[in-house]
Amino acid sequence: MQSDLLHPTDQELLLTADGELPSRRIAEVRAHLAACWECRTRMAEVEATIADFTRANRQQLDPQLTPIAGPRALLKARLAELAAAPAGGAWHRHLHLSFPVRMAVGVCAALIVAVIVGQFVFGYHLLPRTWNAAVSPERGVEPDRALTPGATRQVSVGTVCSMQHEEVVREVPTNLRQEVFQEYGIANARANDYEIDYLIAPGLGGTDDIRNLWPEPEGSKVWNSRVKDALEEQLHQMVCAGKIDLSTAQNDIATDWIAAYKKYFHTELPLAGRPDVLGLMEKSYSTLSQLVFVTGHGTRKSSFLAS
Amino acid sequence: MPDYPTDSINEMLVSDAASFSADPSEIEREVMSLFEQFRNPLLRYVLSFGVPVQDAEEVSQEVFISLFRHLQLQRSRENLRGWIFRVGHNLALKRRQANQKVRDTTSPDWTVAERQFDPSPDPEEQMSFKQRRTRLLAVLAVLPEEDQCCLRLRAEGLRYREIADVLGMSLGSVSISLTRSLARLMRADGG
Repeated sequence: MQSDLLHPTDQELLLTADGELPSRRIAEVRAHLAACWECRTRMAEVEATIADFTRANRQQLDPQLTPIAGPRALLKARLAELAAAPAGGAWHRHLHLSFPVRMAVGVCAALIVAVIVGQFVFGYHLLPRTWNAAVSPERGVEPDRALTPGATRQVSVGTVCSMQHEEVVREVPTNLRQEVFQEYGIANARANDYEIDYLIAPGLGGTDDIRNLWPEPEGSKVWNSRVKDALEEQLHQMVCAGKIDLSTAQNDIATDWIAAYKKYFHTELPLAGRPDVLGLMEKSYSTLSQLVFVTGHGTRKSSFLAS
Repeated sequence: MPDYPTDSINEMLVSDAASFSADPSEIEREVMSLFEQFRNPLLRYVLSFGVPVQDAEEVSQEVFISLFRHLQLQRSRENLRGWIFRVGHNLALKRRQANQKVRDTTSPDWTVAERQFDPSPDPEEQMSFKQRRTRLLAVLAVLPEEDQCCLRLRAEGLRYREIADVLGMSLGSVSISLTRSLARLMRADGG
């Protein structure tokens, strides 16, 4: 056949090696390779480079992989809690905590009481700075309401709840970032200093409107973007489970997202932002560390408790 | 050689929602099974963004918990492997940005990599591959991030369709990206 005489391109060789061409074309290329030493050599080079790259990639990253046993046990415990909770009722998960988590939470609560009593009785200033930050949120962690009152689109609960994960947590488009910085009068902002965040997340019907965007400082130790992400996910789940109205969720997060977090997570401190608290506990309670570090490789306790 | 996916895996990953139960314990078993298969590939992929291993572990946990919720809400089961990597990709980017610790991918951690046991019995072959590996990783590090992601996802066994899904590209763009990267790797490899 005439086509057999035409040498396949490198792209076709790769597609053939990857099994991504239509089967008829793969058969033609293979027939050509059988007859053409030059192309067969080229194909061998393609295969050899793929093999070398894969090996190099593994050797670069595999030494960092930790044994699977710890993370498997952790995931299993977390899934068991989720499975025991009513579908979609994220908060209920916190009421069905496993024994190690209950112990950790219990000791944490005891420590909080002890520290507060210590402050009262002895006048000691024992609380880490982050705790004070929890009471008085750092500057900039909440948007200027005059500039960022929040903006939503007409959307039904069904639409919101059928959104894919990446739509729910999607990033702010690049072209809007500079506009937001200008609006807030922030000059020469470095990319890592702020996350341009939605006040009302897309997963709750928030839009790309500039009135719904603000520069969230990345350096905030307590009330930071990760904590807000957790709140967004919690509200999304609660809306989809019919626990609260979409409009209530939008209003609460737009009015004061920190207050909303405290309200819906029933806590004064972010569940995912307790490293200082747990760090303090770790020093004093080695047994707790053993309990909490069920993974044995240092998976952060904060996220363990947060779920 | 790359661990290309088998048809059986594809059949399992692309399935009809109606054939699956929404029973939480069933979903739990299913998620644990997917965790066994994809935890290491996902962790490698997340680590390739330069996030610390502890953060990568958290991302991995978050992905599989999200998967549990995704399945519990009886959302699409089409291309679950692509879904796992797509959510992992998004979370890794967020984590990298939040950490403000972008690893300098032009200087990978050789001290760790060098300690990796090389099964090749021939010291000359080991040395030769070390040199090739150095060249390949140097080329990889200067590729555009999208090209790096395509290569790494392919090395983890994802098909072009799945890569396109993870990175939001067209199938044609994935093919062009991989061909372009491969050409550069082959030049580095003396091919």
